[in-house]
Amino acid sequence: MFKSVKKICLVLPVVFAMGACQELEQEVLDGVTADDIANSTNPNLIDVLKASAYSRIVGSWGGHNSIWSINEVASDELAIPQKGADWEDGGQWLRMHRHLWNPSEESFNNSWAYCYSAIGEINNLIIAYPDVTALTSELKVLRALIYMWLIDSFGNVPIIDENSTGGNPSNSSRAEVFSFIESSILDNIDALPEEGSKYYINYFTAKAMLARLYINAEIYTGTQRWADAEAAADEVINSGNYSLTSNFFANFGERNNGSTENILTLPYDQNNAGGFNLAQMTLHYLSQNTYNLQEQPWNGYASLEEFYNSFDDNDARKNSFLVGPQFSSDGSRLLDISVEPGDPDGEPLTFTPEINMLAPNAFRQAGVRVGKFEFASGAASSLNNDYPLFRLGEIILIKAEAALRQGKTADALAAVNQIRTRAGMPAYSSITLDELFDEIGREMFAEANRRTAQIRFGKWSQPWWEKDQSAAFRVLFPIPLNQINANPNLTQNPGY
Amino acid sequence: MRNYLPKLKSLLLAMVLTISSIAFANAQSRTLTGTVLDASFGDPVPGATVLIKGTTRGTATDLDGKFSLPLQAGDQILVVSFVGYLTQEIEIGNQSSITINLEEDIQSLQEAVVIGYGSQDKKEITSAVVGVKPEDFNRGNVTNPAQLLQGKVAGLSITRPGGNPNNGFNVRLRGLSTFGANSSPLIVLDGVIGASLENVDPNDIQSIDVLKDGSAAAIYGARGSSGVILITTTRQGKKDGTTNVNINSFATLDQATNLIPILSPEEFVARGGTDFGSRTDWRDELIDDALSFTTNASVSGSFNNTSYMASVNYRDNNGIVNGVGNERLNTRLNLSQGALNNRLRLNVNLSFTNEDRESINDAAFRYATIYNPTAPIFEDTEDALNRFGGYFQRDLFDFFNPVALANQQKFIRETKTSLVSYRAEFDILDNLTISAQYSQDRRNELDGNFWSLQDYQVGLGAVGSAERATFDRSQRIFESTLRYETDLSDKLNMTLLGGVGTQFTSNEGFRARTRQFLFDTGWNNLGAGAIRFGNNTNVSSFANEDQLNSVFGRANFNWDNMFFVSASVRAETYSGFGANNQTGYFPAFSVGSDFTQIFDMGVFSQFKPRVSYGVTGNLPPSPTLALGVFGNGNRIDLDGDPLTESDIFVGLNQFANPNRDLKWETKKEFNVGVDFGIWNGKVTGSVDYYTRNISDLLFNVPVAAGAPNPFDPGRFNTAGSTWVNLADLRAAGFEFVTTVNQVGKGMLKWTPTFNFTIYDKTTIESLSNGELGFEELRFATPGSPGQNNNPIIYNRVGQNLGDIYGPTVIGFTEAGEYILNTTDPNEWTRVGNGLPKGEFGFANSFSYGAWSLNVFLRGAWGHDLYNSYRGFYENADTPSNTWNSVITDKTPTNPLVTSSPTMNNTVVEDASFIRLDNMELGYNIPTKSANLSSLRVYFAAQNLFTITGYTGIDPEVRTNDAENNDPFTSALSPGIERRNTYFQTRSFTLGVTVNFK
Repeated sequence: MFKSVKKICLVLPVVFAMGACQELEQEVLDGVTADDIANSTNPNLIDVLKASAYSRIVGSWGGHNSIWSINEVASDELAIPQKGADWEDGGQWLRMHRHLWNPSEESFNNSWAYCYSAIGEINNLIIAYPDVTALTSELKVLRALIYMWLIDSFGNVPIIDENSTGGNPSNSSRAEVFSFIESSILDNIDALPEEGSKYYINYFTAKAMLARLYINAEIYTGTQRWADAEAAADEVINSGNYSLTSNFFANFGERNNGSTENILTLPYDQNNAGGFNLAQMTLHYLSQNTYNLQEQPWNGYASLEEFYNSFDDNDARKNSFLVGPQFSSDGSRLLDISVEPGDPDGEPLTFTPEINMLAPNAFRQAGVRVGKFEFASGAASSLNNDYPLFRLGEIILIKAEAALRQGKTADALAAVNQIRTRAGMPAYSSITLDELFDEIGREMFAEANRRTAQIRFGKWSQPWWEKDQSAAFRVLFPIPLNQINANPNLTQNPGY
Repeated sequence: MRNYLPKLKSLLLAMVLTISSIAFANAQSRTLTGTVLDASFGDPVPGATVLIKGTTRGTATDLDGKFSLPLQAGDQILVVSFVGYLTQEIEIGNQSSITINLEEDIQSLQEAVVIGYGSQDKKEITSAVVGVKPEDFNRGNVTNPAQLLQGKVAGLSITRPGGNPNNGFNVRLRGLSTFGANSSPLIVLDGVIGASLENVDPNDIQSIDVLKDGSAAAIYGARGSSGVILITTTRQGKKDGTTNVNINSFATLDQATNLIPILSPEEFVARGGTDFGSRTDWRDELIDDALSFTTNASVSGSFNNTSYMASVNYRDNNGIVNGVGNERLNTRLNLSQGALNNRLRLNVNLSFTNEDRESINDAAFRYATIYNPTAPIFEDTEDALNRFGGYFQRDLFDFFNPVALANQQKFIRETKTSLVSYRAEFDILDNLTISAQYSQDRRNELDGNFWSLQDYQVGLGAVGSAERATFDRSQRIFESTLRYETDLSDKLNMTLLGGVGTQFTSNEGFRARTRQFLFDTGWNNLGAGAIRFGNNTNVSSFANEDQLNSVFGRANFNWDNMFFVSASVRAETYSGFGANNQTGYFPAFSVGSDFTQIFDMGVFSQFKPRVSYGVTGNLPPSPTLALGVFGNGNRIDLDGDPLTESDIFVGLNQFANPNRDLKWETKKEFNVGVDFGIWNGKVTGSVDYYTRNISDLLFNVPVAAGAPNPFDPGRFNTAGSTWVNLADLRAAGFEFVTTVNQVGKGMLKWTPTFNFTIYDKTTIESLSNGELGFEELRFATPGSPGQNNNPIIYNRVGQNLGDIYGPTVIGFTEAGEYILNTTDPNEWTRVGNGLPKGEFGFANSFSYGAWSLNVFLRGAWGHDLYNSYRGFYENADTPSNTWNSVITDKTPTNPLVTSSPTMNNTVVEDASFIRLDNMELGYNIPTKSANLSSLRVYFAAQNLFTITGYTGIDPEVRTNDAENNDPFTSALSPGIERRNTYFQTRSFTLGVTVNFK
């Protein structure tokens, strides 16, 4: 008996020693790997993967510190005033407003990583399913959409497609990026369906993308493409698939997925697809009681007085702002007991168009707020409203602008007056570029359009409230410092 | 080579002969009776030799330690000796009855030190290893084994800022050795690698040994980089053939201390604060003295080949805030049985612990300090009653009634841990032993989190929310070793150890949270929450498993007790690394020599220089980093129609970039030291100097998002960062410890022990790997409001880890606004560093007969802390008037600062401190009972006073950022005292220990 004990003890170490340094297989218990996906025959898989790629751009689009934030706060539409320590945040949003930002701003890096992480995932999918043309075509156009944000914000960005190899990519010129976007759309547009869910790109979405790309072509490449812009816009307008909603705000409601005007939307859902936090970002702390919000808002984004005043009082779209006395959901007046001694309205919460200063001691109540999107009662910090990336209203205004810039004033008036009429405003009988610029501003408020329009109309460098004349190179945001650190092949944009 | 011992012996012999001849001449007769006791425990010492000095007349003590000895005229001095005790000489005088307390021989040459896979004579140790025995442990209400060692071991930094009984201790050996979660030393409990500290109650610990340097820790290879703490539990009775029953019971009173001064309600209103008409001392309302109770009972014994220890430890600790508590029941059975003439030895260790924790939202501490002092706790309005349960609340930014917060949110964790280990050893030959050990360490956590319907912070918006979560961890280890010892020549002894092991670790968890309740039923009925998706809700689970295989060997040589050499290597294969890099090798080598065995070193009884070098590694934070797992994306409704549900799936997104080349971190450590003893062990100590280089650290590094992934060829980066091996850190330090054994006169004895460490702070030599990496890493923003964007800890290449950066106040405008030297964070300069230049501990053990007094002072110097209360709440700017202000000795008052709170150099303070950490006064009540071997009562105090210039809550070193749960970046942001820090406490303990025989 004792001998056998001895044997077992002697044998065990030998067995273990043999096994000890063999390669070990790492199991994954709560996720899947690229191999698992490649080996799957689930019929829904490809559709789910495609939707997963789209959900990358659903992500943080409508959140704070996002690509939406940098475009809005750098424009003359919105500002984030500093209320004492609150919203000082290292001065990032003051610099953003004053066009004095640095390459190290966190929001630039967030925006860049948001775009390129999605591009990486799209490229992986295209490689994984090279023969599924319907998928790869749509993904290439989706990738082009992301490049449209990159070309607009950062300009000279690296082009990475499924054929890219090697290590760190280097920048391409803005014109090369433009060509890449254009060819990505044109090469794949015919493989896209003509109809389908607003959550996916179809043929007319691609045309809407082209319209927006061409209207900005002069900025991006130095070459005007007004006629191309008009033609692309016309094709969307004449498709018969879309129509202006009689109620402007139907496009921005909590249940706006039935909108006939929206062309491509991000399908936000408070439960399943979070990331659209506008109520938190703009509303006053006390507004929690107005909408019975699940969380206390942050009292950040407010509109500039001058921009607010560019709306006629009769303009239906002026309801895009929350202004004046604020009430609890039970109808009682909200009282801000900690109101600053100098606030003209005192304790009763009132959103005034005037903001006493940008920093450091803006009144907490000052500034009208973004009310364009419906804030449903009981809303969570992530909203349910789908976010329109493209809608017919914008395309009609592109048509108007392209026509006007080609001297086709009648066509321009016809288009712009559709928009004005819907807003309850008298039709224009004549129109200047400045008037059109203002009209675009009123229509597209808070849709991340203003910065691009200001640049296109030559308004970008001008001084406005709490902002001096800005340097010419500020038409582009800088390549984020983190990205330059991570990729030495990147060259910073001129001026930074 | 000389040896002076023979000379000494002959001298002694001569003396003895002379004295005895004188003694014989004066022969006269009477009888002396007496008792010999162990000075530490008061137990009788049987078998001790009692001799009349200078004669051969003597006797041995009986089982009760008693003796009787006839005296002759001229007998003056009694010599009492026993193995393991210091020999004592007592003047007989006229006494006829005498009690002798024998002190343990601290410097006993036979003293064994536990090292990895065995123990070694202390004299043979050639690396930096420190053993700590129970008599050196910290006193008072010690709930965590780590706390026993706080300040006791040079280079071992153990911190717990604030007094939360539920918070664990941050343990660091010789500074930071990795960025990851494994920055605390590896715990090896009775041979079980990686056991959690919850498995052992401090009361059951027989000894703790700390493997400080790389060569000692290298036998634990990939798990040893942060050092190793070996804990050995009591496994037998004190003497063969006896049973000991020990009961230790104490009560502790905790009080909050060192509260930051704030404005009185009148001052607050005068500064522009809203006056709500009441006067409330919020901290007084929140906190209360707390009583805690602890009882330990154990029985142990040894009979022939059987020995055992069984214990039960019950601790009920209450926090100074209602709703904070920690109740723990630990049961242990250690059983050893020898068979076949004790050639086969079987060991079973079983330990089970149940711990119930109750916590509150620690933000209550912040609001209790800065909430409006004119607000009432309750108000009798319809709104308050309906919405807030009667509590006063106002819709202001960051403004929550602290009493409501503490009462209307509730967090519990029930933890069950079990550690079972089975070990068999068999002596194949007298000098060849094989052993096998299997252990299973399991831990189950069950959490309950609750936010009342009327909790203003979360519950009100969520309409009540509750959560249940489980976390299970299991670690199974099988190890087998073969040990061979032989004399290669008459002077050269060799010990060989070889072993193999395999370890399986698995973690899994489940979590569910719902909201929108009608009643506050909480986590016991999650189904009563109507909303189960989305904000403030959760359903999720996770699981992972990994495997680590090891082969190791060690050889020790002892040449005539003069030269000692040790060499070891461990090879480890880990499943979670890239296929080509799964196996790592961790060698170590050390050598030492006791010069007193070679030269005549005068007063030195030991002078042992030693040099060692070792390589250790570190495991990654997750086993799947090499693989690039796809995670859950958004829920996707394929047709967009919410009415059809068969087409809804969860998306697949790759949120992490795989790195198929991922490999081990390595730490290379060189140590040179001297162990010394002077005057035959009256003074002992050691000195160590080490340098360490840490390279290939695992870190999540920004990469070019979207670019081709160089670590996963053919695919693209889908995330902005990738786990890679990068960085080089260099650190060094000097450690010194010395003990003077029993200075004193007559019955009064004083044993001081002093240790200190001087750190050459960790320098960041590189934060890159090829093109990847950083020139600097910034972490830790002070927080909301308004200080969310600029991190204040800059880790820069070429600089020390943990530098605090900020602008410098160069003056104030007349209106009291800061004039800063810069507002650009890129131009900020270094205004402090969160890690200490040095730490020290000074233990004093006094005894006077049956009385004992232990006084322990501890401190750290050369570290700074960002005082976040001052960073947010000391300025008198209007928007800050919502909150009460702190006013410390360092708060500028002339003029009052009117700028909004912003980071600046003045809120970073030198936090050097000296603390009377603990003291204990004990008295052994003399007993004559046949069954009672000792009865001791004691009174202890902890944290009696702190001398510091720091004006925050607790000057204790912050090795981590308490508000950052990512261990990687948390370890890179030391030196921040957050506003949610639990208040410091002072404790008074009264206890009694009874030993039965």
